[in-house]
Amino acid sequence: MTISPNVTLYAALFFYAAGTLIAFASLFLKEKQLGMGLGSMIAGFVLHTVWIGTICTKTGHPPITNLPEALSFVAWTIFLIVLILFFRYRVHAASFFVYPLVLLLLTITAVVREPFAPRNDALRSHIFTAHLLLTTLGVASLMIGLAFGVLAFLQDRSLKSKRPGRLWQWIPSLNVCKVVSYRALAIGFSIYTLGLLAGVMWSYRTTAELMELRTKQIGAVVAWVLFAALLQAYIQGMYRNRRTMFISAGAFVATVVAMLGIHHG
Amino acid sequence: MPLLLVGVNHRTAPLDVRERLSVSEAKLPEIVQSLTRLPGVNGASVISTCNRVEAIVSSQNEDSVEIVVDWMSERAGTARTELEKHLYLLRHGDVVKHLFRVASGLDSMIIGEPQIAGQVKSAFQSSQETGSLDSLLQQVYEQTLRVAKKVRTDTGIGEHPVSVPFAAVELAKKIFGNLAGLRVLLLGAGEMGELTAEHLAAQNVQQIFVANKTFERAVELARRFNGEAVQFSAFEDQLAQCDIVIASTAAPHFVIEPQQIKAAIGSRKRRNLFLIDLSVPRNIHPDIAQIDGAYLYNIDDLQHVADANLELRQQKAGEAEEIVIREVEMFRKRLVAQDAVPTIVELQERLEAIRTAELEKCLRKVGPITAEQRAAIEQLTTQMVNKILHYPILHLKESGDEPHERESLRRTIRRIFGISS
Repeated sequence: MTISPNVTLYAALFFYAAGTLIAFASLFLKEKQLGMGLGSMIAGFVLHTVWIGTICTKTGHPPITNLPEALSFVAWTIFLIVLILFFRYRVHAASFFVYPLVLLLLTITAVVREPFAPRNDALRSHIFTAHLLLTTLGVASLMIGLAFGVLAFLQDRSLKSKRPGRLWQWIPSLNVCKVVSYRALAIGFSIYTLGLLAGVMWSYRTTAELMELRTKQIGAVVAWVLFAALLQAYIQGMYRNRRTMFISAGAFVATVVAMLGIHHG
Repeated sequence: MPLLLVGVNHRTAPLDVRERLSVSEAKLPEIVQSLTRLPGVNGASVISTCNRVEAIVSSQNEDSVEIVVDWMSERAGTARTELEKHLYLLRHGDVVKHLFRVASGLDSMIIGEPQIAGQVKSAFQSSQETGSLDSLLQQVYEQTLRVAKKVRTDTGIGEHPVSVPFAAVELAKKIFGNLAGLRVLLLGAGEMGELTAEHLAAQNVQQIFVANKTFERAVELARRFNGEAVQFSAFEDQLAQCDIVIASTAAPHFVIEPQQIKAAIGSRKRRNLFLIDLSVPRNIHPDIAQIDGAYLYNIDDLQHVADANLELRQQKAGEAEEIVIREVEMFRKRLVAQDAVPTIVELQERLEAIRTAELEKCLRKVGPITAEQRAAIEQLTTQMVNKILHYPILHLKESGDEPHERESLRRTIRRIFGISS
């Protein structure tokens, strides 16, 4: 059985695309257009939620058993966190990073067709369900951490250059970027670590091996190491330098590889 | 009902003329009442700020403008001919547009300055309390305040500070977010430094330390900010504790060196430090700007930020003017429609009376008909009346801005339809 992209998913994609376009157009237009962009993204989010709900109802398990489902769930979680942050900090600038990411992830979901896993013993295992949920939530939180890390970097550069630009007006204070980024990374890393441990336990139970050296496992472990290094850099207050930015980029790529590995094994 | 405005502002009149006309807040009710008592005046209000004094009246006819000018020259103690050189006179829609622009900060010396909306609101409240506002002025003021709010919300015109001390506060917010709970060190007693510290104190910073070569002056300043005076020789100890440092001394050399800041940041667990150098010659070594976690701005940097903000405000002013034009047109339409309501009602009643009377006459001639037939005839005649009234009502609602034009149209329509004046 295949979960085909349906009208709801395409409508969600349409609103996400419109929201992303409006957000980028706002760089050159009036500031108030960002509100329209957010409105469009929220409309997309509502439809996205309906689509995820449909999958859960049809399959009877969390919507994270294959690549399209997992990416869709990550995108959904990321946007939910961003929405919460928006109402807490009124951060518009995150939209320039998060909206395209959400759009990209959901586009992959719409393009890749993959049969969902049947109700087998593995999916009924609590450890496996915990592994899927925790890693997905962890990845979403880590992505937010990366986005705000980039914002902190940009704000720092802007303050150092003493030349305020248009984007500068929208980026929240350096302190807020730093705090949100650090907290999202710390919380995301803890959840992700628990998710990986659950995965190792499940692997040991089912195959008597701690880990198979497949793309998704290698990607996940490399991402974990890079996020650990990133967290360490944050603890040392080194969120501003280029090395930290390179680690961030590496962690992002490793996470994407791990997620794509869900599809290719 | 004509709406008139007579006034002077910073562009039309020198300070001594504005001074003579200006009204203190305490005297405002009395002055407004004296304006309201003038012959032909129905409602009045006075806006008095350091940049403008304006009398706004709604009157029975346009001749009232002469009386208001006389009243102003009497208040200024100046010959009318002399005062007229500085006065501007606005009528009807121009008054509304002017008030919308004034309250939005578009007519201010510093574009977008936020105080003016509050001053207009005070003028409104003062006139309201003395019962000097008629229904027209009441509507104009309420709409003025709404438009001012809309302009500020939609364009963000007042969000970008255009003075050096405010620019420093804005930068501090960009670094720390909320300034409450931060510690500030003020080095020296320069005027600009004092002003910046004053603005920071208004943001509820936790503590302000003041260090000055003359300790007595430091004590005096610290008392003003409810802060603490420290010996100038011991200010280095405060660097590690403070989040914002303002240097404004008369020293001809650097007072703060990079190694002092490196040490301070090291012991601050890498918390950021914002340094504001307002002195010329500079007091803070420029190499400090390269230190991770230290943000150094000198007077030129701050001026640059203020200038960039001013440019931004000018851009926003264009958007604000568009909003004002739109709002003026909407308000004009609303007033005109409102003005036409009594005539429209009379017109509808007149034609309805004709329709009913003629229908009854006709039905008596025709004899008995069914209820359905009667309903059909009722519908037909009602539709005919509505079609006949369509254009007259439309013209009444959309007639011009000039009150005498509208009055003339109303008279013509009343005459055509035989409505008694």
